[in-house]
Amino acid sequence: MNPESWDLLLRVGLLTTVRLSFLSILISLAFGTLVGILRVAPVTWLRVLAAGYVEFFRNLPLLIVLAFIFYGLPKSGVTFPTFESGVIGMSVYTAAFVAEVVRAGLQSISHGQIEAGRALGLSYLQLLRLVLLPQVFRIIVPPLGTVFIALVKNTSVASAIVVEEMMYQAEVIAGRYFFPNVFLITGLLYLVITIPLAGAVNLAEQRLRVGRRRGR
Amino acid sequence: MKARLSEERQSLLGALVVIALLPFIFGMIPLRGLATLLPGAWWPALGLNGDDVIALQTAVVNFRPFTEWPTWRFLWYGLAMTAGVSLISIVLSLPLATLCALGRLSPRAWLRLPTVAGIESIRAFPVLILIFYVFTQFSRLAEGLNQPFLRSNNITLSVIVALTLYTTVVNAETIRAGILSLDKGQTEAARSLGLTYAQALWLVILPQTFRRVLPPLIAQFVTLVKDTSLGAIVGLLELYHRGQILYQFNRNPMETLFVIAVIYFGVNYALGQAAQGIERRVTGSRRASRA
Repeated sequence: MNPESWDLLLRVGLLTTVRLSFLSILISLAFGTLVGILRVAPVTWLRVLAAGYVEFFRNLPLLIVLAFIFYGLPKSGVTFPTFESGVIGMSVYTAAFVAEVVRAGLQSISHGQIEAGRALGLSYLQLLRLVLLPQVFRIIVPPLGTVFIALVKNTSVASAIVVEEMMYQAEVIAGRYFFPNVFLITGLLYLVITIPLAGAVNLAEQRLRVGRRRGR
Repeated sequence: MKARLSEERQSLLGALVVIALLPFIFGMIPLRGLATLLPGAWWPALGLNGDDVIALQTAVVNFRPFTEWPTWRFLWYGLAMTAGVSLISIVLSLPLATLCALGRLSPRAWLRLPTVAGIESIRAFPVLILIFYVFTQFSRLAEGLNQPFLRSNNITLSVIVALTLYTTVVNAETIRAGILSLDKGQTEAARSLGLTYAQALWLVILPQTFRRVLPPLIAQFVTLVKDTSLGAIVGLLELYHRGQILYQFNRNPMETLFVIAVIYFGVNYALGQAAQGIERRVTGSRRASRA
């Protein structure tokens, strides 16, 4: 590993992976929560559509989702650079998993709370915002963490649609200097993101748990 | 029970709606082009012109390969490769995963610590990087050994090795959780009956564990089938890679990817249904034996 390789791998690759992961986590969290809420919505066709979204994307390989976005968006008149295509593909794919987690969280809350909220005269949206979602996000922090750690590892697949992240740089370095062990180093570099992420999840879980105890 | 069934039907119906919408969202089937099938007198009112006729013809040309038998035969071999590689990997991974799980639960530190280190380090790797690393090392090895079988099958074999490794460490964790979920009394009862540790494992612990962890193991198999597509990046001729070759030949990436996505969805949905059916049967029979 010469300095130029380190520069490619860390300054370009790692940075792109971090940006890709961060943006995808934010978008998939927002979109996945929306789909998860729609899965328990009182309107049947919304529920069917949301369930279909989750079922379809959970059963597809990520590579196909990314390729579809990569070839498909320009055809429907929207041209994005590859990085944005990567963010959209990762988000669309991961949102299906986030939606499942959110739905499980929503369904784990006892029905009495919904009835109590409705009895107080809250509208459906108020009920969601004030009663259900604050509790759900407390419960689902650990499973969400698992989903997002998988997302960080999955960003390596974006190299297939020429997003210049770590895996892409590793391929470049391996090819240019005939140095296959770069894959070993790159694999370990993913820990630089996943370990702090796991730490953040643990911290969030602990703090939220303390908050609940105090509330009681 | 009734509500659960209808929920399953909802998600299948919804997925079919999503699949049906995709060709329209991504312009594979142009709506304005379809409108040109209407009588010509209506065209000015709808604002249609010759371009829309061309769009419709392009759509027909792009979908035409899928009306021909050789296309499907070409894809069929890819599906067989996908199924073969994932089946071999899951079958190889099960005994290895059981050994890893037992190693991790072992009271002997010299056995436990290396197993834990191995499992955790392989689990930290993205699957794609694992495939690449194994591929480069394996090809080097095959080249050095100069074995014709290893050399000519280096892509397939290295993908199988990489996916087996990854599936082994994931399944090892599942099996370990399954063993830990069993009541401790089971082992104690078996030992007090005079069974050796190995006999207790083989006759009492493992059969119950596998019955319990069968659904998550099948879920992992779905993940494995999806991950096989990553083999395409090192040149494994499985379903996705054959799709790539097809669309480079026919110049219809969207249509081909759409067909391949539907195939993957069909296979994985069927596997998921199988997992749920087995789960229901396992829990049902356990309840029946208890009663």
